[in-house]
Amino acid sequence: MVTPSELKQMYLDMATARHYEERLQEEYLEGKQPAFDISAGPIPGELHLAAGHEAAGAGVCQHLRDDDTVTAPHRPHHVAIAKGVDLKRMTAEIFGRETGLGKGKGGHMHLFDPEVSFACSGIIAEGCPPAVGAGLAAKKRNTDSVAVAYLGEGAIDQGAFLESLNFAAVQDLPVVFVIEDNDWAISMPKDRVTDVENGSDRAGGFDMPGRRVDVDDAVAVYDAAREAVGRARDRNGPTLLEIQVHRRMGHFMGDPETYRPEEDQDAAAGRDSIERLVEDLRAAGVDDAEVDDLRAQAEARVEEAIQWAKDQPEPDPAAAHDDMWINPGSGVTDTEPDFDLAGGDD
Amino acid sequence: MAEQIDRELTMSRAMVEAIATEMRENDEVFYMGEDVADYGGIFDSTEGLREEFGYDRVMDVPISETAYLGAAVGAAQEGMRPIAELMFVDFFGVAMDQIYNQMAKNTYMSGANVSVPMVLTAAVGGTYNDAAQHSQTLYGTFAHVPGMKVVVPSTAYEAKGLMHNAIRDDDPVAYMFHKRLMGIGWLPAPDGPKTPVPEEEYTIPFGSADVKREGDDATIVTLGLHVHRALDAAESLADDGIDAEVVDLRSLVPLDTDTIVASIEKTGNLVVVDEDYRSYGVTGEIVASVADEALGALESVERVALPDVPIPYARPLENEVIPDAGDIENAVKRTQ
Amino acid sequence: MTDGTDRAAVTLAEWPDDADADEGVVVNWFAREGAHVDADASLCEVQIEKVSVDVLAPVAGTLTEVVAAEDAEFARGDTLAWISPDAG
Repeated sequence: MVTPSELKQMYLDMATARHYEERLQEEYLEGKQPAFDISAGPIPGELHLAAGHEAAGAGVCQHLRDDDTVTAPHRPHHVAIAKGVDLKRMTAEIFGRETGLGKGKGGHMHLFDPEVSFACSGIIAEGCPPAVGAGLAAKKRNTDSVAVAYLGEGAIDQGAFLESLNFAAVQDLPVVFVIEDNDWAISMPKDRVTDVENGSDRAGGFDMPGRRVDVDDAVAVYDAAREAVGRARDRNGPTLLEIQVHRRMGHFMGDPETYRPEEDQDAAAGRDSIERLVEDLRAAGVDDAEVDDLRAQAEARVEEAIQWAKDQPEPDPAAAHDDMWINPGSGVTDTEPDFDLAGGDD
Repeated sequence: MAEQIDRELTMSRAMVEAIATEMRENDEVFYMGEDVADYGGIFDSTEGLREEFGYDRVMDVPISETAYLGAAVGAAQEGMRPIAELMFVDFFGVAMDQIYNQMAKNTYMSGANVSVPMVLTAAVGGTYNDAAQHSQTLYGTFAHVPGMKVVVPSTAYEAKGLMHNAIRDDDPVAYMFHKRLMGIGWLPAPDGPKTPVPEEEYTIPFGSADVKREGDDATIVTLGLHVHRALDAAESLADDGIDAEVVDLRSLVPLDTDTIVASIEKTGNLVVVDEDYRSYGVTGEIVASVADEALGALESVERVALPDVPIPYARPLENEVIPDAGDIENAVKRTQ
Repeated sequence: MTDGTDRAAVTLAEWPDDADADEGVVVNWFAREGAHVDADASLCEVQIEKVSVDVLAPVAGTLTEVVAAEDAEFARGDTLAWISPDAG
């Protein structure tokens, strides 16, 4: 049973994530209006915002520790926030600053925070195999840490996902796969490209449990994830979870969404997991003043992170040449021992 | 006075000896691949390892390269030291994202906050009529993508020292071993790759090319199987009074341009020999690198590589496209 | 086994159980004539019906003579090489 303090933590994570995406949208569009120029403004490049996905981040990550590995896809911010990624350094990375998580080399689709075992990758479903590898490492080291791979419903036809399900299943690895179903793969509605209604049905083909959370409800996600993460932590193998979420914004910023019926956009805006969670907080005896206070904390944290990021220096252009290797190019040695290889051709 | 080494090993045994030694010393080292456990690797790359280390550390995996190469990336990022094998390098196509978008880039994209200390082993090369999908070396393809070190042993001695360095390196290393050099009974090696191999551990640095034969008249730069074909050519050329130097690159990333340039400054004539495709590959890169640094020293240049066709099956056709000692000999003669 | 001059014969001690053939081929030698070898060191690899088997040194000593060179065929029980055992 979810405790009031867990509800409050989930609310903080979700309110932080929502405000973060709304503020990044503002920052992103600066310098990109009226004519949209993707490389202009303080945040250049693509930006995939996750407003409407918050419950999937908070409800699952509530069960995770810092040593549990999470891989997220190209739409990662809500998961990163729920996983406890350093928000200032993450924001600095998104603004392309020297003190960003990747020193400005990764950007918003390639955030790595080893302190809390978080990584994301911009290639659809390709974060799944590394998560499986983290689960493999946990098994080999006989620890009770787990790994979670997030993917969108548009990724469930990708080989990397299907191969990962099989590998995790045959090796009995402590991995939870989390499909965030927002109904849209950029402009493609899921029934146009996939002939199963529920991505979680894929689990049956791999002899693992599959479970779908039909409503965008943080507590329902929390309950389903508790079982799945617990199963992994107890060394009972992988689980496939699917969570209905809603894409409240375009696929990426600047997406005109001309393909998307207005009623679908309205419906997404009308289902708000954060408002739903406020109801749960009230039911648990948390009063509105405290909810308002939590929201204010979340918003202040976001503002602080954005301001901090904008105050950070841009990287020195010469730094583009650094960070290729951990060791020198020669490896762990730069000299070769002297042997007398008498019989050979040397 | 260096100790004289009597014991000789095939390349596969030297490679396995290094892996076994590292596995004994470090529980975090493990091997994953198709048919690497009971079979011992289709090309003997893991012969005997399962018997010593068991199925948990010498893991047969699903025929699912994206899953297990990606799992190696993930385990490496957790700090383990996986070795993952592509049975044939030609199979890279089904898993290239994990190789070039994850394994190779994560260190850089993370600002070196993440390391990927894994070894990707891959069997490469033709000369046994296995046709276009099982005979490539793809040296240029792997060396082109920044973020992985790429090593190519040509002898047992190199196979062991390069493998020790590869496993201990905190960076991802592609270790490309030529099938024809392994010393397998059913795929006989030429004379040359079987060499004396010290029993003790030793590491050979990457980016250190080895002059396998000294000569004043022309420099043959090559790698892998073609080191031996170049040495054969050099022997034959010596009968004609042409003294060729043979430089074995040993690694493509990093590339030891210094050793190549030093040789060119002596001979003036550059012949690059590669078992990969001619265009946009190793031969062009070596020529360009020498031109960058020592254009004035260059008197002539020859490239000997696969023509830009898929590798054909029938014996006369494959022999036509894969360079042999005669092709190398003729190329050297054209520089004189 | 010796031949009266204190040389030890190198043979394949255990023929593979599941092999029907009584002949094999020497695939690789790991020591050259004149090399010192330890007891039980792998001296050579032979192939019998596609199965590879290592032939071990019966004693420590000097490999004085290779009888069956690489690619040579041999029969069950044949001497593949001779070792002159270390003194003592």
